[in-house]
Amino acid sequence: MISDFSQSELLRYSKQILLPQVGIDGQRKLKQASVLIIGVGGLGSPISLYLAAAGIGRIGIVDPDRVSLSNLQRQVLYSFNTVGEMKVEAAKQRLTGLNSCCQIDIFPVAFTSENAKEIAEGFDILVDGTDNLTTRYLINDLCVRTARPFVFGAIQGFDGQMALFDSRIGPCYRCVFGSPPPSDHIPLPADSGVFGVLAGLVGLLQAAEILKIILGIGETLGGKLVLINSLTAEFDHIEVLKDPSCPVCGENSEIKART
Amino acid sequence: MRVRVKLFATLGMYAPGGESAKPFVMEVDQGTRLNALLDKLDIPEESVRVKFVNGRARKWDYVLEPDDEVGLFPPIGGG
Repeated sequence: MISDFSQSELLRYSKQILLPQVGIDGQRKLKQASVLIIGVGGLGSPISLYLAAAGIGRIGIVDPDRVSLSNLQRQVLYSFNTVGEMKVEAAKQRLTGLNSCCQIDIFPVAFTSENAKEIAEGFDILVDGTDNLTTRYLINDLCVRTARPFVFGAIQGFDGQMALFDSRIGPCYRCVFGSPPPSDHIPLPADSGVFGVLAGLVGLLQAAEILKIILGIGETLGGKLVLINSLTAEFDHIEVLKDPSCPVCGENSEIKART
Repeated sequence: MRVRVKLFATLGMYAPGGESAKPFVMEVDQGTRLNALLDKLDIPEESVRVKFVNGRARKWDYVLEPDDEVGLFPPIGGG
C-alpha cells in the first residue's frame, strides 16, 4: 500500500525507502509520528531540519526567544535575514520550505510547569533542545508521568552529552543526574562559549535516536549516556542504571504520586 | 595502587598540571572510595554530576580497585 504517499513524496524519500530497514512501512511510521522539540537553538536546529527532511509527520517547536546575530554561529536554522524574528516563526518558514509535507506546530512561549502538559499533549516523543537544567528536569518528569521517551542532549564548550531516557525500560534523567545542582555550579551558556559544530554533532545523534525509535531499528541508547569530546573526537558510552530511590520513577516516587 | 582518571569538560582545570582532557594516573591507598579521590584533586563534590568507573555509573561510596578507570563529568546546561 503506497497510496497514502504522493508521487512527489515517494521521489523525495526514495533514498530512504530503498533502505531495507525503512522501506515504505518505515516511511509510513515516520509520517504518522509526532515529535516535540523544546528549544530551537543549537541542538534544536539540526534536530528539526533532519526530522523534517526525513518526513516526520508532525513536528512541534517550542521557544520564547528571537533570533540574534550571536545565534548564527551554531543555530543553522536561521539566516542573517531572520535576525530579530521569533525563532519559532523563522524555523517554521525554513522547515516548511524544506518539506511542506510536515505539519509544523509552533509555540512561541517558554516551556513551564504551567503549560508543559498542554503543549506536549499528543506528541509521541519529547526532545531536549533547551539551554537550561530547569526545563530538562521538567521535560523528564513529564515524560516519566506520561510514559514517553525523552531524547536528551546538552552542550558546553567542546563537550556534549546525549542519552535516551525512557523510564519504562531504563533510567530517567533524575536517576543519572540526581536533583538539580545549586545554580552557582551550573555554567550558564551565556557565560561560556560553545564550539558551533558540537551542536551539530550532538543534535544529529539525538535526531538519529528519534528516527531509530520510530522505525524500531538498530540499538537504542536506553541505559547508556554518551559523552562527546569534539576536540579529541572521543565518544564514551557510560552504562547508567535505574535508581530504585529516584523521586520520579522509583518505587516510592513522590513526584509521580503527586500527579 | 594505581587508578586512571579522566576529567571531562571544565573539570579538566583540576588535572595535575592544569587544563587537560587527557587521562592521568593517580596513586591511591587500598580501600579508597570514589569521593576521597575528589579531596586529593581538590574538586568540590557539587561540581561533579556524573561519575563512572570502568564505563559504568557509580555512587560516591564505590571502593576503588587497582587499575580502575575513573571518569568525572560536570553539569552542563547548554543547548
